[in-house]
Amino acid sequence: MSLIARARKVVTGDPTAPSAPGVRPVPFWSLRPRSDRESGDAIASNFLLHWFPAKVSKSSLDWNYSFWLGTITAALFLLLTLSGLPLLFLYVPSVERAYQSVKDIEFVISFGSWIRTVHRISAHLMVVTVFLHLVRVFLTGAYKNGAGRGQRREWNWVIGVVLLLLTLFLSFTGYLLPWDQLAFWAVTVGTNIAASVPFIGPEMRELLIGGRTIEQATLIRFYVLHVFFLPLGVGVLFAYHMWRVRKDGGLAKSDREATLETPRAVAPGKTKTYTLLGVARGTAPAVRASTVEAPDLTVNAVPDLLRRAWIVTLGTIALVSIASVFIASPLEEPANALVTPNPAKAPWYFLWLQEIVTITTVKIGSFTVNGAFVGGVILPGLLVGLLTFWPWIDRSPLAAAGRWFPQSRRTQNIVFLVIVVAILVLTFIGTFMRGPYWQIFWPWETWPAIPSRI
Amino acid sequence: MSEKTDSKVDRRHFLFKLGTGAGIAGIATQGVASLRSLVPNVSYDAPTTVKLGVPSDFPDGLKFLPDERLFVFREGNTFHAISAVCTHLGCTVRAEALSNPQVEPVGGANMRLTHRFMCPCHGSRYKGEGTNESGPAPKPLAWFRLSLSPDDGQLIVDLADEVDHSFRFTI
Repeated sequence: MSLIARARKVVTGDPTAPSAPGVRPVPFWSLRPRSDRESGDAIASNFLLHWFPAKVSKSSLDWNYSFWLGTITAALFLLLTLSGLPLLFLYVPSVERAYQSVKDIEFVISFGSWIRTVHRISAHLMVVTVFLHLVRVFLTGAYKNGAGRGQRREWNWVIGVVLLLLTLFLSFTGYLLPWDQLAFWAVTVGTNIAASVPFIGPEMRELLIGGRTIEQATLIRFYVLHVFFLPLGVGVLFAYHMWRVRKDGGLAKSDREATLETPRAVAPGKTKTYTLLGVARGTAPAVRASTVEAPDLTVNAVPDLLRRAWIVTLGTIALVSIASVFIASPLEEPANALVTPNPAKAPWYFLWLQEIVTITTVKIGSFTVNGAFVGGVILPGLLVGLLTFWPWIDRSPLAAAGRWFPQSRRTQNIVFLVIVVAILVLTFIGTFMRGPYWQIFWPWETWPAIPSRI
Repeated sequence: MSEKTDSKVDRRHFLFKLGTGAGIAGIATQGVASLRSLVPNVSYDAPTTVKLGVPSDFPDGLKFLPDERLFVFREGNTFHAISAVCTHLGCTVRAEALSNPQVEPVGGANMRLTHRFMCPCHGSRYKGEGTNESGPAPKPLAWFRLSLSPDDGQLIVDLADEVDHSFRFTI
């Protein structure tokens, strides 16, 4: 049949058109299918159903196993992309006009303040949920491979670490854009940390900010990174991240069932394997028919998985949208290179680093190492390096994967939690307990009055 | 015949390699050019040699110049200038007047230290002559060379020319 004839049959929905797998009589699938054929088409042509497998393990959908943190993160990224679009039209990336344009968004443009707040809270929440997602995956050992062939969970973990760094950098570059005091000094501190790397540091800083001082070149660089390169990177890696989850046979918990479940007497069935259109070599992780067919262990992705994914996505969008009505986004005085605010604080998710750079200047004899290098480069570098390679260091048995607090991973989970708590405590101190000249105050203490100049 | 076929295959192979190589070279050159364009050739930063005003503009004691991020000290006819850029992460330090100024030897000569400096970012503290006392600052605040402009008699600071603590500029 010629292409045109086939297209005509598809468009007109001619019922006499020959039916064959993959040939659909109507161009769009229907929400109210009138026949088995139409409901079949609705499934075959629904993008989400290409994303999800046909059947998923029931327990991997548990609210209190994964807390759906990855899905929440994805919903927040969607929300950030959507709320970023109008801002893209309204914001002007120039040092003369950036502040004024943000002020206009905040006070002049209809719903501008709400859109900006949606963008801002989503960004902050995304940092939180990405971090919590990482904590969950670590504590449940979900980067461990089961018995399935072709599993590369450890690499998906590495992608996840990169996504965390990209998220932080996305948030940090967005921080500068309002060009207010908060932005200017946070970026001063942040880029000087980069400059503290021996030998190449100053050049790195110069390349990052496009000169020796934070000026127009810095703003445009951060802007382009924020609206193009970093979201693109997150988008591509996110897609790969999701694809890998599917290819690795779902969450580690379902894998656990497939490998550890004692074989039960079921009617002899075929072992199901799924190939991905020849993209993948060999077969995807073999799902044993005994578990995949066991009705008490698996459910259909539609509607069970889809329903929960929708609840989480729509719930996130609803919560953020409603909260944004009541929360105002701050805008400080315009950036002033001449006056450092007292105290000058980095964004909250970097405050634990700011605490560390404050206390890690070390003197070895007459030789002094800048705390910015120890606390701002070496220590976070070590932490990220350890995180990245942890799946290869973790030697715990397979049975430890896919559940919370297994005995065999107790020590590493405790060490990990201690580091997490230390980061949280330092963040708390930096946020609530640092006053003028970075001195310690209790949260309820009032700060002494400091003259604003000199 | 076979010789001819061979040479044909060779030529095709050669052209394939040439094309691929040229493609890679072209893309690489364009990539390098694109990245190089991001390294500035001209700095529009403020000049490092700045006129600060005639000496009589400066009171005895300390004057803070926010544009240059500089403290200029005057004791009679003697001047010296200390940077206000914290050596830790580049915030602007603030001067705090001491209630009881002390006289201490600085760079071989006694100096009346009227202030101390504190950084709002990470709490570094410096003594009146710029020595780092506490906090994360790894080294003392910089001292810069002062001179007089020959044309109009203004005080000039060279922010690229660091001097040691024995430097005094007397007019």
